[in-house]
Amino acid sequence: MKFDLTATIVFVGLFLFITWIGFIAARWRKADLNLLHEWGLGGRRFGTVVTWFLLGGDLYTAYTFIAVPALVYGVGAMGFFAVPYTILIYPILYLIFPRLWQIARDRGHVTAADYVRDRFGSRWLELAVAVTGILATMPYIALQLIGMEVVIGALGFPAGGFVGHLPLIIAFIILAAFTYTSGLRAPALIAIVKDMLIFVTIFAAIVIIPAQLGGYGAIFASVPQEKLTLTPPGAGTLGSYSAYVTLALGSALALFLYPHSMTGILSSSSGNVIRRNAALLSAYSFILGLIALLGYMAIAAGVGSDPAYAAGFSQYGANFAVPALFLQSFPSWFVGVAFAAIAIGALVPAAIMSIACANLFTRNLYKSFWRPDCSDADEARVAKIVSLVVKVGAVVFILAIPQAYAIQLQLLGGIWIIQLLPPILLGLYTRSFHPTALLVGWAAGTAIGTYMAAAQGFATSVYPLSILGVTIPGYAALYSVVVNLFLATALSWVLDFVAKRGLTSKPSPPL
Amino acid sequence: MTKTAAKRAWRRYWPRLLFLLPLTAVLTVPFYNRLEPTLAGIPFFYWYQLAWILIGAVIVIIVYLIETRLTHTAEAPKALVDTPDAPGDLL
Repeated sequence: MKFDLTATIVFVGLFLFITWIGFIAARWRKADLNLLHEWGLGGRRFGTVVTWFLLGGDLYTAYTFIAVPALVYGVGAMGFFAVPYTILIYPILYLIFPRLWQIARDRGHVTAADYVRDRFGSRWLELAVAVTGILATMPYIALQLIGMEVVIGALGFPAGGFVGHLPLIIAFIILAAFTYTSGLRAPALIAIVKDMLIFVTIFAAIVIIPAQLGGYGAIFASVPQEKLTLTPPGAGTLGSYSAYVTLALGSALALFLYPHSMTGILSSSSGNVIRRNAALLSAYSFILGLIALLGYMAIAAGVGSDPAYAAGFSQYGANFAVPALFLQSFPSWFVGVAFAAIAIGALVPAAIMSIACANLFTRNLYKSFWRPDCSDADEARVAKIVSLVVKVGAVVFILAIPQAYAIQLQLLGGIWIIQLLPPILLGLYTRSFHPTALLVGWAAGTAIGTYMAAAQGFATSVYPLSILGVTIPGYAALYSVVVNLFLATALSWVLDFVAKRGLTSKPSPPL
Repeated sequence: MTKTAAKRAWRRYWPRLLFLLPLTAVLTVPFYNRLEPTLAGIPFFYWYQLAWILIGAVIVIIVYLIETRLTHTAEAPKALVDTPDAPGDLL
């Protein structure tokens, strides 16, 4: 790939701009950043607009922008499951999270694990929630680096070796520095710039590229027809249909259980801010749907067979489809804008994820198990340091370990995080679950889900479940959380029964 | 749940049943897994799902409006907005 000077200058310029914003964010809505809820939740003062940018920047990550069209480019219609997934997340957000926000605000919870301990009075359940959250988020941060690495490579920087990784390392040092000083305020402000860039890029892409390729009709006509729809299932199986639906449903249920989603939600200023965003965030979903179609535009533009991009495709695989499409379709300066949008789109979620992990570690491991009497300032200091450690860990992870492992771990992360559904979501509505039962359900669900992924060689999270001779391929996360839920319910009932017979039991305290 | 409690819950939460619409729209894969009719060159499979993102958003807005204006399930934002140190409602 040839080094693109104009694009690089624009890219670096925009990067310096958001670095400046990241540091001045510390003075935005000035407050004592030595308090964890100020550093790690922005003081719970973000209104509808800021929350919209923050959650949009948080949930629609750079990796999504690269990987979703790459999937559509590679497998076609199945990759479009990201769209029904985004249709389902907003009713879930609306129904459940205003209530969680209210409880967290009233009782001073900073993390989901805080809430679970308070609700069920169990430190072991708190530990399970915190550890699951941290383990599921770490590979997610690493994946953001992949998104960034692809665009930096596409600018023409030499790949591989220490020199090749240098831009990435510099970007992460900057990220670590402004997250340390400004906390959640930094990604909230930067998200505004990032989203403007994304909107401009996508608007240009859906207007300019189809015009170059002869309209949407021509684009879809150039895609192999069997790719355009899901393969209808044969006899004795639900085939791609059940896989498509369970992937959408399972991913939607898992999304808001991730610590970084929780951090974004808890930082808003009221339940109604969350309700309004359940409608307004659809704008990003629509953008994501259009971004998914970029995969087909890349097929129509023939970037895959263009020798100019052969090196990129051999290095990054299908993930190179969108950068190649932009390089082919846009003038250099606009390529700089588009790539900066993607790279900054990696920094915002990476910052929020590292803050979320830091909050979990500090509140639920450090304070709960090690130093219960630590001061508020101590708590915030530990969180800041942990946010640095998490980012160093992600960089080392991506540089030292083959990329395929990061992707597989992220896939496992989705299966692990959904196991928090019974303790977090159901606890909001009923007190009838017993902490021990929830813990057993969590352990069983995690084990079964991991087994299902392992049985597929960690290549896919779609598990071919056989019931009465009918094969129902479906998302392992959804299958395993059903087991989790069943065990949690049945065991709670048994434990309650035992308690009524005069044996000891500890019902959860009212909220 | 007693009968009156159930009645009260129904009066408060009935608008949320509207969320069954997007769920049904997504679950009926065999219905939308087709190419025709196309819209401006875009096959049905794609524009149907893109359209449901927008319809889904409208449904959320409708439920929100009913719950804030009619049933008062979602509490209206408190009058904190005007005081200088209040958390932002919009920004």
